[in-house]
Amino acid sequence: MSDATRTDEAVVMERQFDAPADVVWQMWIDPDEFSSWYGPNGASVYVVTWELRVGGARLVRMTVPTPRGETTMWFAGEFLDVVENRRLAYTEYVSDENGNPASTSASGMPKPHPTTEVRVALSEVNGRTTMVMTHVGIPADSPGAAGWTVAFDKLATHLRGHPAS
Amino acid sequence: MSLTTAIDDHRLDATFSALANATRRAILTRLAEGDATVNELADPFDLTLPAISKHIKVLEQAGLVVRGHRAQYRPCALNAAALVEVSSWAEHHRRTWQERFDRMDDRIKQRANRGRDRTR
Repeated sequence: MSDATRTDEAVVMERQFDAPADVVWQMWIDPDEFSSWYGPNGASVYVVTWELRVGGARLVRMTVPTPRGETTMWFAGEFLDVVENRRLAYTEYVSDENGNPASTSASGMPKPHPTTEVRVALSEVNGRTTMVMTHVGIPADSPGAAGWTVAFDKLATHLRGHPAS
Repeated sequence: MSLTTAIDDHRLDATFSALANATRRAILTRLAEGDATVNELADPFDLTLPAISKHIKVLEQAGLVVRGHRAQYRPCALNAAALVEVSSWAEHHRRTWQERFDRMDDRIKQRANRGRDRTR
């Protein structure tokens, strides 16, 4: 879990729950519990694959109502760290229904969607649990991140004075 | 807001992917100077019109480019708002997680109530 190869694009959130750590742990690792809170309201989340061990695969299907009908998306990844009631980490990327990375192929050169990483740390004191969730964005060494940085360096100059419509 | 979070998420991914291509970034840079037709965009590149059109379609799907509906030229324009949104990846995801953890908290409280009901 080295931070050296990561960009600064990360979300770190701390939250307290009035429940012991094993209850919060179940929220993350039980497919039914996970489905109950993960998706936005109105969405249905279904766990397709859930191999809860280091290196195990995960695949989640999400169906969201839109004004133009339902949209179904798949998110795949791998469990990186599984320590009961204490630590969980997994990767996630947009995929097809088989867990293969979705690509936005334009010029015959498929570019996989960026992979992000979610880490959860739980600590229980007197029956209350503190949860720290870190969601790390695009790895610094990925092609996506390189393009990302360049894109902003170049565009930032041009966008100054351009009305944000 | 929460209803559209997953769609936003999905589009954000599409935006990141769209930006991970030198030709498409060049197209955006050109559009930052002003609207342009597909022909005008194709000019500086050693690419066929269909190839350029594909790139524009990717940018359009990512919300980075909008196209006019008038005439057969359908000029392309940069959607600066989408770039602003994407520039705050962390901020966007922070909101998403906030909502998720609110629902998690509700779920935990429901469980606790059910537990109490059983032991009553």
